[in-house]
Amino acid sequence: MRIRLRAKKVNRSVWGNIAVFTMLALTAAFMGLPLLFVISNAFKPLNEFYLYPPRFFPQNWTLTNFKNLFIQLSNSWVPITRYLFNTVFITIVGTTAHVFFASLAAYALAKHNFPGKKIIFTSIVMSLMFTSNTLGIAQYIILSKLGLIDSQFSIIALNIGAALGLFLMKQFMEGVPDSLLESARMDGASELRVFWQIAMPSVKPATLTLIILQVQGLWYNTGSSFLYSEQLKTLPVALSQIMQGGIAFGGMGAAAMLIIISVPILVFVINQANVVRTFTTSGIKE
Amino acid sequence: MRRFSLSLEQRRGIKGYAFISPFLIGFVMFFLYPFIHSVILSFHTVDIQRESGYGLIWEGLENYRYMFRVDPDYNRHLVASIQNMFLNVPIILIFSFFAATLLNQKFRGRTLARAILFLPVIISSGVVMRFQDDPNALRSLLEAGLSVDPSTGAQTGLRSFELSLLLNQMLPPEMTPYVSYITGAVDRIYDLVNASGVQILVFLAALQSIPPSMFEASYIEGATGWENFWKITFPMISSWFLVNTVYSIVDTFTAYSNPMMIKLQRVGLEQQQYGRASAMAWVYFAIIMLLMGIILKLMSKRVFYYE
Repeated sequence: MRIRLRAKKVNRSVWGNIAVFTMLALTAAFMGLPLLFVISNAFKPLNEFYLYPPRFFPQNWTLTNFKNLFIQLSNSWVPITRYLFNTVFITIVGTTAHVFFASLAAYALAKHNFPGKKIIFTSIVMSLMFTSNTLGIAQYIILSKLGLIDSQFSIIALNIGAALGLFLMKQFMEGVPDSLLESARMDGASELRVFWQIAMPSVKPATLTLIILQVQGLWYNTGSSFLYSEQLKTLPVALSQIMQGGIAFGGMGAAAMLIIISVPILVFVINQANVVRTFTTSGIKE
Repeated sequence: MRRFSLSLEQRRGIKGYAFISPFLIGFVMFFLYPFIHSVILSFHTVDIQRESGYGLIWEGLENYRYMFRVDPDYNRHLVASIQNMFLNVPIILIFSFFAATLLNQKFRGRTLARAILFLPVIISSGVVMRFQDDPNALRSLLEAGLSVDPSTGAQTGLRSFELSLLLNQMLPPEMTPYVSYITGAVDRIYDLVNASGVQILVFLAALQSIPPSMFEASYIEGATGWENFWKITFPMISSWFLVNTVYSIVDTFTAYSNPMMIKLQRVGLEQQQYGRASAMAWVYFAIIMLLMGIILKLMSKRVFYYE
């Protein structure tokens, strides 16, 4: 590892660095624009909000939007902390359950042989392609038979069997060397332990990626057709109600949006900072 | 006789079933069964009653006949979706691979750069998307903002109109279709870049699982970065092109902005023609499956697997 880094420094020219940096800076600027716009809107006073042509930076920075937002929210029938709790609950439990069960299934599909394995995998991949709106009716019927309608577990249950996570994890699990797993088994590790202590750490980049995708999906979940009680609804629902309040609520909406997108961004940054190379092949001589 | 003893392989197989079952239960209940249920729906008219839930009226192939023969938009949307897929997926793949390679380099602020490149995925979902429908919102601003000078309101950006004129003057006329492909990509760059976030992450994770000893060995042998890229990095992650192709195809076909999805949403949820929407979705699905099968077959021949 160290040798490689040193060699790289010698090989890559200053101009190469500049080229890479410019490329990235350009793309980053392009993608950063919407965020910049969200941030600046959140700090704009209302009279600047609908200016045309729109400005990227407010002339008078203000915190009124945030203040109004909190006043508005503290007056609502269901306290904001309740919405926040609902969303956090769904996100944490849903992500954990999906990542664990999908990885477990992926491990079995990648490293075990059993009849019907191929059919199972094919049907899971096929289901990736099917559109969610036509599944709605049957999903609703099953959930209501299970008595999960109007419960947060409806969202979590629906999420466990989602195909994308399994698909991703399976591809990464394939790359874990069999000899590594075999040596753990020979040392007497149970199958569950092999999975948890050998296979999972080897696919850490994939797990972290999956966590990002899951948090991102669940954090924005509105639970639209499954949650009816106001006290069970999620943060995005509460915030979009504010945004629908009309022009006068535009500034508050922007402040709310800034707050809500900051969590997935934070999760992403923390996760990506923790992605390290995994040395699955170290110590194996074949 | 050892009637009840199983071989090691079989015992492991049983554990395999045990491992897969929690996921599988969720999958069968909420995806596979609804999936089959929608086939049944597609041959019926779904009649929604207030007290007893819903009833089914047998229609045979009527729903299928309707969508091809009567519905004014279906065929058009179908062709457009397939065209879009063929146009967009290669660009998405190339861009995301390129971005992932750059982001995999070690430099200061790497995490920040990654976060910014992933922003579109975070921003373009959920609530924010709804906000974008606003006339004054993000997206229209962004699209306009790139070419409108904020202080004067004049068009200043290089839009593809100028680009295509420029390129068409420089190149012989038989190149025109290629030029319009490229300039079209410039026009859709916001969507394309938006659609690449997940693929970049997958490529990044894949790049990080290449054993570093390979690079080490090749550097010792005196290979350059360029050679390393084509002879180690590229083959080692070629199988991930497959994964990302699958993801990109699925993503372009099932994105909320896809006209076909909007159509399905309208027929199914707003007009409450569930049977008809199911039939439409099934034909759509079958076509995606077929295309995907062909593409994967062609690609998997060229993919290199490291053992």
